[in-house]
Amino acid sequence: MTRYDAIVIGGGHNGLITAAYLARAKKSVLVLERRPRVGGAAVTEEIFPGFKFSMFSYVVSLLRPEIIRDLDLPRHGLHILPLESTVTPMENGDYLAAWADHDETRRELYRHSPRDAEAYDEYGRLMHFMAQAVKPILGMVPPDPTSFAPSDLAGLVKLGKHFRGLGGERLHALVKLMTMSSADFLDEWFETDVLKATKSASGIIGTFLGPRSPGTAYVLLHHYMGELDGVFRAWGFAKGGTGAVSEAIASAARSFGAEIRCDAGVSKVLVRNGRATGVVLENGDELPAGIIVSSLDPRRTFLQLLETNHLPSEFVEDIKRFKFRGSSGKVNLALDSLPSFTCMPGVGRQHRGAFSISPSLDYVERAYDDAKYGEFSRRPYMDIVFPSMIDPGMAPPGKHVMSIFVQYAPYNLNGGWTDAKREAFGDAVVNTVESFAPGFKSKILHRQVITPLDIEKITGLSEGNIFAGELALHQLFFLRPAPGWAKFATPVRGFYQCGSGTHPGGGIMGASGRLAAMRILKDGR
Amino acid sequence: MNYDVIVIGAGANGLVTAHYLARAGKRVLVVEQRHAPDPSADIGWVPNAIIRDLGLSGGGLRIEEPDPWITAPLSAGGTLELSRDIGRSAEAIRRISPADAARWPEFCKRMRTLAGVLQRLYLVPPPDIESNAVRELTRIAGLGLYVRRLGKQTVIDLARILPMSIAELLDDWFESDALKGVLGALGVWHLKQGPRSGGTAFNFLHHHVGSPAGVFRPVRSNMTQILAEMKRVEVRRGSRATVLAKHGQATGVVLEKSGETILAPLVVSSADPRATLDPIAIELDPEFARAVDNIKARGVVARGTLTLDRAPSYANLCIAPSLEYLERAYDDAKYGKDSTGPYVEVQRTDGNRLELHVQYVPYTDGTASVQRHQALQQNVAQVLGAQSSQVRLQSPDEEQMQRGATEGHLYHGELTLDQILFMRPVPGWSRYRTPIAGLYLCGSGTHPGGGIPGAAGRNAAREIL
Repeated sequence: MTRYDAIVIGGGHNGLITAAYLARAKKSVLVLERRPRVGGAAVTEEIFPGFKFSMFSYVVSLLRPEIIRDLDLPRHGLHILPLESTVTPMENGDYLAAWADHDETRRELYRHSPRDAEAYDEYGRLMHFMAQAVKPILGMVPPDPTSFAPSDLAGLVKLGKHFRGLGGERLHALVKLMTMSSADFLDEWFETDVLKATKSASGIIGTFLGPRSPGTAYVLLHHYMGELDGVFRAWGFAKGGTGAVSEAIASAARSFGAEIRCDAGVSKVLVRNGRATGVVLENGDELPAGIIVSSLDPRRTFLQLLETNHLPSEFVEDIKRFKFRGSSGKVNLALDSLPSFTCMPGVGRQHRGAFSISPSLDYVERAYDDAKYGEFSRRPYMDIVFPSMIDPGMAPPGKHVMSIFVQYAPYNLNGGWTDAKREAFGDAVVNTVESFAPGFKSKILHRQVITPLDIEKITGLSEGNIFAGELALHQLFFLRPAPGWAKFATPVRGFYQCGSGTHPGGGIMGASGRLAAMRILKDGR
Repeated sequence: MNYDVIVIGAGANGLVTAHYLARAGKRVLVVEQRHAPDPSADIGWVPNAIIRDLGLSGGGLRIEEPDPWITAPLSAGGTLELSRDIGRSAEAIRRISPADAARWPEFCKRMRTLAGVLQRLYLVPPPDIESNAVRELTRIAGLGLYVRRLGKQTVIDLARILPMSIAELLDDWFESDALKGVLGALGVWHLKQGPRSGGTAFNFLHHHVGSPAGVFRPVRSNMTQILAEMKRVEVRRGSRATVLAKHGQATGVVLEKSGETILAPLVVSSADPRATLDPIAIELDPEFARAVDNIKARGVVARGTLTLDRAPSYANLCIAPSLEYLERAYDDAKYGKDSTGPYVEVQRTDGNRLELHVQYVPYTDGTASVQRHQALQQNVAQVLGAQSSQVRLQSPDEEQMQRGATEGHLYHGELTLDQILFMRPVPGWSRYRTPIAGLYLCGSGTHPGGGIPGAAGRNAAREIL
């Protein structure tokens, strides 16, 4: 039996990236994936004959450009198609649109408010700059402020210098972005409610927060991060769905010599004398390895794969306290034909972009109120796209697929999720869409409704949290997933973590997978 | 008569500034819009430095430290009474939750340590993180060292807890709704946020500053009254005053009623930043004016009095039976409505005067509606089991009309994480100065903010001197 240098548990994008980087450094690596296919929450599946869906995660926004370069992903089939526009239907039949063409967007905004059209450019400039200022932090290993080690002190000083180097005005903007609610932050810039609602909706994705909850402004930056690097516009769809991203990374990993085994769930990590020595598969097989890396979320990594007696009790408490609270659902539809929205009748270029169901701040906030008290939103916030419009291969000729990201659907629903509740949730979604696009329901051929409980069951993400742990300020940076253990190592020697539950977390970004691999290679030297 | 300094406002901060300046030999005039001193008590920690420097003890300063410091009715009948003694409080908590009682002493200790860090920051101007001056950098480094010396746990707690919601913090520690309601209420004090909003854990700690471990309500004192009675500074009452400025330089104030102009080279305003600066906006840089306009000061508290036939048995009654109750109260305010089930606190002060704190009563449009007023009083009376005629309340709208505080916010700016320390009152102008030469701010709108009467006033005076 081959003994591997490293075994990576979980074949999601971060696990694959870690494996690829380790293999690139000439390590023998084995990736173990529980499901029949790699990708985790970034998978493409033919749910209904002829109709393919990016089942969970559906847009590629933040994939780190250095990863794309290092792993040469375009050669392995990664092809990103830009998402061109966002249209927000309003309750009064009007709409707000943002188009690929900047001037057109400005003119559209001018129609709603000349003042906001003026502010828009200045806002964009600030956000671009801020995104650039934050980016180095995403690529750095967080220093531990409680430690007196020279490397941590140096890290803190470097961080301090970086922030001070921004200059007063931008430093203040950063403090605001880190602490404010997206609604309050946008209030300082704009007056058009529907604009604020649509922009702040991006701040609530994956969180159990509303647009008026402090801590949501920071996510506004994400929209400006993807578009920055010169490689290509990294904000859009992957040809072939998000599963194609995972396949491209897997292909790169294999080209470096990594081995990937599917249908191979891991039940335990073996620990001897405080050191990880191998894994036990669900079928009982034992595989030894010098290094074990888990890309699963912190709860599963530490409370399920390990016996907690191998961990300090304080650390176990911290992991137990780590919050997941999944809040998002997904409805995937096979359509006979495209729906026509009242605000912009007919079928046209608007269908090549997103429809955001966020007609007002109050609308989104009320959707959150339902979830706060344990119900799914009666009128949810939705982000709708038609992937078959951009990549015709996703549906049979003439037919379409429609992907609806829905918030809020709380994991801890009052009375728990049942089949009936799932269908009721699906009904709330299609009925709400119907109110903006009459006749839409009659075009539905098939419907798949995914609740946070389903996300948990299928992908393993605890409580169905799409970021493998909430992206709240107190769960970021040196606190992700636990104070003192944010540098990819764990209290068990030879056992590492590389998933979205570690810094910087969330989205198909891959940064944690890469940083973890760097750390492992550094420790091995 | 010529004055060196004119101070606008005879509240705690205005008077503290005036007395410090007078003590340093300045000729000071205080102008105040109200005819008579405000009879309501000052709420919040009175720093020892102020008592000592201004000789308040000799003036008859009374600081009330009620024991038990809170009484909360329980849904199952009876009350939860929390005492100044941690052990006695734990005993009271044991009756509703033994697990919570066991955690109470440790919780009190940890919170006290964190509030201690804030306390240290509050008696000096906020750290200037942009500065390259050696002195300032040394001060910041010293602060960092001080915090690290408190131990690893404190560093982690600070980073973890400050941005948290009070609900998350309390859920980490306790299970009893009644206990979490009493503590959670302090986290939303004067905030247009609910207990599940991030940053409310900071607000909770802010209001714990100055209190001993285990006491989570600020003290009440007669500080303003004592200062007003001291003869060291001249106070002219009865007219609102506006700052006069020309060519970027403050020249004095105009009394609105008489139109009389009083000149002085230095003007210090304890009124809220927006009310102070709006009338001279034309003198300001547009970016600065915009920052002032962007100060969030959304009043949500109605204050008032309760008149009872007999003195009640409690010193401080809290109606906030659970975190969910508070959250639902906030939900109404989010959409501009008064809470159907408001959080109400009744505080007994000396002379059996009962003061009310009712939240949330959001500022609406600056007008008073008789209908709203009656509905509000009726609602609060019902919550308290009293008669509507026994309740007198003033909404934030009425507060603005009568006292000029922007949107009726008593702290002149919410204590959210983006509006504290070097971000208060506006980013980059946290040293009590303004772009107008000779014009300073010294009110709650400046660091360290409301709930600590006199601290901003003292810091400002020291900065001016």
